[in-house]
Amino acid sequence: MSMKRREFLKTTAGAAAALGTLRGRAWGQAKPVRIGYTLSATGPYSVGAGITQGPNYTLWQAQANAKGGLLVKGQGRRPIEFISIDDRSEHETAVRFYEKLATDDRVDLMLPPWGTAMNFAVAPVANKYGYPLLGPTAVSNKIKDLQLPYFYALLQQPDQIMGAFAGILKELKAQGKISKIAIAYVNDLFGIELNASAATALKEAGLEAVDVKSYPLGVKDLSPVLKGFKAAGVDAFVGLTYPPDNILATSQAKEVDWNPPVWLAAVGTAFPFYRDRFKGAEGVMGIAGWNPKVKSAGAKEYFDAHVKKHQKEPDRWASAFAYASLQILERCVAEVGLDRPKIKAMVDSTEFQTVAGPIRFVKGSNVSTPGMVGQWQKGEFEIVWPKGLATGTPVVPKPAWA
Amino acid sequence: MGLSPTLVVDIVVGGLITGGIYALVALGLNLQYGLMRVLNVAHGEFLMMGAYLTYSLHTAWGVNPLLTLLITGPASFGAGLVLHRLLYARVLAGGEAAEALESRSLLLSFGLLFVLQNAALLLWSADLKGYSYLAVPLRFLGSVFPANRLVAAAVALAVSLAFYVFLQRSFLGKAIRALMQDPEGAQLAGIDLSRVHGLCFGIGIAMSAVTGSLISMLFELTPFIGLPYTVTALVVVILGGLGNVVGSLLGGLILGLVETASVYLAASDIRLIASYAVLSLILILKPSGLFGR
Repeated sequence: MSMKRREFLKTTAGAAAALGTLRGRAWGQAKPVRIGYTLSATGPYSVGAGITQGPNYTLWQAQANAKGGLLVKGQGRRPIEFISIDDRSEHETAVRFYEKLATDDRVDLMLPPWGTAMNFAVAPVANKYGYPLLGPTAVSNKIKDLQLPYFYALLQQPDQIMGAFAGILKELKAQGKISKIAIAYVNDLFGIELNASAATALKEAGLEAVDVKSYPLGVKDLSPVLKGFKAAGVDAFVGLTYPPDNILATSQAKEVDWNPPVWLAAVGTAFPFYRDRFKGAEGVMGIAGWNPKVKSAGAKEYFDAHVKKHQKEPDRWASAFAYASLQILERCVAEVGLDRPKIKAMVDSTEFQTVAGPIRFVKGSNVSTPGMVGQWQKGEFEIVWPKGLATGTPVVPKPAWA
Repeated sequence: MGLSPTLVVDIVVGGLITGGIYALVALGLNLQYGLMRVLNVAHGEFLMMGAYLTYSLHTAWGVNPLLTLLITGPASFGAGLVLHRLLYARVLAGGEAAEALESRSLLLSFGLLFVLQNAALLLWSADLKGYSYLAVPLRFLGSVFPANRLVAAAVALAVSLAFYVFLQRSFLGKAIRALMQDPEGAQLAGIDLSRVHGLCFGIGIAMSAVTGSLISMLFELTPFIGLPYTVTALVVVILGGLGNVVGSLLGGLILGLVETASVYLAASDIRLIASYAVLSLILILKPSGLFGR
């Protein structure tokens, strides 16, 4: 039976290859550069994957192929071919597929899946086979403890993000605009880590949270937490959230008639969907990293291309870093070819100019992008902290919920 | 923490809000499981479909979410009848042991779960979808509650009570109760088993879809919101007793109260632990359910 199946596969593979060559004429007969990855099209990770990573992968592929392909040193342009599946938000499915990509498909390059836990799961595989993996959606202080030289994290990590949160809160308190901070965090690895970083960062800033509450993933009612904060006179809400609970907390704040001067939350706030869902979400703050007004070369062009291809805006935090990771790969391949140890050496030693600003890695962590706080103001997620990178000034107290 | 009057109001009203929704979704499942031994694990998927239908009707044509119940209810009832005729009637035909029917219908429902999830994925994508309706605070008894949750729970309870009256008063309702109590005897008395099964399957699914329509006013939607509701419904069905309509109603309310009390008095993380603790206690002390015979 297995012999037959193998025969069948050979035949179909042959046919597919023949078709490929026929189609290949359009590409000037260059052999494609094969790039493998998984993204979650189903399951809990699909929301984030579909907003932050998937659209950037396909945008980059389409842009490169429109120019005739990816420029490979010494070989001219070769079209990009993706080999990918839906990992169904299952770690083991993703790990198996990355193993297959390395040993069976022998792809030229790999792109990471979406989310911290997924990146943690597949990074050891990529590392084992020597594939540089540039993760734009992995947030954890533990990344540096992993000792995986081929894994790189582009986003700001919890300590930097919470440092920025504490920075802006300290200034607002000094201005007398807030006095009582309270934190609600989602009770999983991500929220727990952010909360630990928050405790340290607040302490260093001479601040203290009057109340800290956790809630489980998939929570359906946050009104008890919000009512508690309201009763305690909290005027700065800090939510260490995922998107669904972020949206739940925001809608319930209005429903329990609570409008603290500062509403600052984590994942989800930077999504254009959030702005549209809450009629502008005027004055809401969250983790930021990018918007089309930043000074980085190509930022506006990237924004326009994303809107044109997908009819939706990129999010204002990690999307640009997903695209930046591809710009980094593109430049490395143009300069050193598809030799992966050489790519790694270049990633380790170069400061890259990307749509998300300069990016330089030290021991796998991007040290060039500081933690940032953004605020929705008239349709744009303005960066309001740190001041050196700000595209707007913070509006506190925030206006009433729309 | 002292038990102030406001806190008591928060717990009781909050619990009834959550419980009212649990009761309706559990009632639908109980009708299928209690009567036909169809453990419909795709029950929550019909809830998800109902929610998306309301979302689309409201956002595309501006239909009032509450009015969409008049569409999602009958449409899902019809879909239930067709599904029963095409799929479940064949599996359930041939009077075999309850265990065999249970396992076969379970497999079928699992398949249905994947089909429905992927259909929703194709139609609406995995992006979060949601809208605001009655998202205003309502003050009474010294506390404040979201208007949309109160309305959703009130409608859910009204539908549940209407169904209870239907079971007690109408001829068809009596036939359903007769089949639940004694399938053989009821058939001897001339009740058409297959026809009543089909109707009950349709009603069960309609209840799930209607709950979904109500829930779409409160939460963001993804194609994967259904399963947790199936699990909760199952807990309520076991809590209230298999095939016991009043049990499902009260079981839902009790579970809602227990969960809400645990959240207010301890922490949000305790919610699931509290509900499973209640379930375990019931299984140990009274395995047939609180109101089971």
